[in-house]
Amino acid sequence: MAFNILVVDDSATVRAVIAKTLEIAEVPVNELYQAADGQEGLDALNEHWIDLVFADINMPVMTGIEMVEKMAADGLLKTIPVVIVSTEGSATRIEQLKAKGVSAYIRKPFTPEALKNVVDEIVGVQDEG
Amino acid sequence: MRADRKELVGEVFCDVFEKVAFMFGEEAGREELSEAATEFIQAAMSFKGPFEGNLAIVVPDEMCPEIAANVLGMDLDDEIVKDQATDALKEVLNVICGNLLTEIAGEEPIFDLSVPLISKIDEAGWAAILDRPDAVGFLVDETPVVLMFSSEDDIG
Repeated sequence: MAFNILVVDDSATVRAVIAKTLEIAEVPVNELYQAADGQEGLDALNEHWIDLVFADINMPVMTGIEMVEKMAADGLLKTIPVVIVSTEGSATRIEQLKAKGVSAYIRKPFTPEALKNVVDEIVGVQDEG
Repeated sequence: MRADRKELVGEVFCDVFEKVAFMFGEEAGREELSEAATEFIQAAMSFKGPFEGNLAIVVPDEMCPEIAANVLGMDLDDEIVKDQATDALKEVLNVICGNLLTEIAGEEPIFDLSVPLISKIDEAGWAAILDRPDAVGFLVDETPVVLMFSSEDDIG
């Protein structure tokens, strides 16, 4: 099964790095959508079927936390798993995010293996090797 | 900057550059940094939490595409590398900031980080930066780079 994935980050570089890392980690991707802030992310979520979201925290217009809160208030969007990809290392912040419904947290810098492990845990993909 | 803080800044800087951009850094003295280039790019951001402060990185203009190429895993002449040259520098700074704050304050406190901003620096500006007490100089793959870190908790 291939996934429709949304990457939400104000840095085009980070979006490109996540896309490349997904490819290196051999995560099956059907469509990869990109958004530059939380509002664009919500727009993409309302326009397309998305299986998994990778999102930054600190973004202009709407932060990743605000986007997660709005997703949690929507009956359909709250079922979509969100992985926060951030440079912040605060365990307190991570707990707060999980309480808001975030499925997992990946801290930068990250490896392809770390990203694949998180995807496997969330969507239940088994390693064929 | 306190000596132990300067050492920590150096460790985090080199670790992040190696992991994010696959480039190798080492601390350098002022004499190794003085005649670096004529134009420079600065990425700067601030943080707020249990204590507040600022972090900035300054690199020669021509180093930005090299950083972007390494971060993206692409060739220097790739169009996307040229487009994202300064964006990659902002991302390197962002990762340094998050990792440095965790090293300093531990994993409990929450810091709010600003979005990094880009500006240009000329030769005179570069010389002034080298004299700043919060500046730490590095050679990254033999190219001079300066990181400036100032925070309320750095007393002494």
